[in-house]
Amino acid sequence: MLIMADETFDLAGCLDRVRLHDQAASRALVEHLYPMVIRIVRARLPRRLDEEDLAQEIFLKMFTRLAQYQGVVPFSHWVSRIAVTTCIDQLRAQQRRPELRWADLSETEAEVLDNVLTDARDETPSDVLAAHELVHKLLNQLNPGDQTVIRMLDLEQKTIAEISRITGWGQSMIKVRAFRARRKLQKLFRELQSKEKS
Amino acid sequence: MNQFDQQWQKLTTLARKAADTRDVAAPFGFAVRVAARAATLPAAPPWALFERFAFRGLMVAAVFGVGAMALGFSSILSEPADDYASTDTVAEILDLS
Repeated sequence: MLIMADETFDLAGCLDRVRLHDQAASRALVEHLYPMVIRIVRARLPRRLDEEDLAQEIFLKMFTRLAQYQGVVPFSHWVSRIAVTTCIDQLRAQQRRPELRWADLSETEAEVLDNVLTDARDETPSDVLAAHELVHKLLNQLNPGDQTVIRMLDLEQKTIAEISRITGWGQSMIKVRAFRARRKLQKLFRELQSKEKS
Repeated sequence: MNQFDQQWQKLTTLARKAADTRDVAAPFGFAVRVAARAATLPAAPPWALFERFAFRGLMVAAVFGVGAMALGFSSILSEPADDYASTDTVAEILDLS
């Protein structure tokens, strides 16, 4: 996700021109980074939120903090860290995480969960989308920091070192968050199972 | 690996297969709008980095403050007469305690 698609883009030159308040360079930088930023936003936020507004907020933070970029880490890592922390702040601002009940699941999501819990049958193509939605519903029950760690570990398959680089959190903190999140997910699984039976 | 880990892995493996096919290119006019807005904004001061931690820092400080007050009150409310007697040399010599 962090690797830019356009290898020919002169990032260093573009940044120099942006620092000199060149509007064309600013537009080129936004267009260059947009695919990376929007993937981060889409992976972390519910679909109902306006992703463009959040992407705009991320880019405005990037421009206003540009003087603080020292070049110690690649620019794309620095921007992705701004994107991840902005998404976490947005999730914190929402705060409302209603309890997930069996009745909140669609028919396919309930079937997929049942299948996973009982190891009953092979998946069908519709199960893939339902599983995706179900995982997001379950992760939304966690606090924003914990869900970010689990998304990166289990969905994006990033290593602890990569997560540390993107978020700026220490590796032991990430392990603690992952442990705490998995324990909460296990509890959620148990609760859903018991509600289904009742 | 326990039962939950197996179930969770199965679910996330399935979820990963769902490819996001949405377009990732910037919408028309987005870059122009953002660049124009950015040009009107002042640069963030260096301490802006710490703003997102400020409220949590304040809450932690408040908890420590309340804890310190609680500890302080418990020592004030403990029997002052005994403390005084045990440190008063005259009281010790005359065995007044």
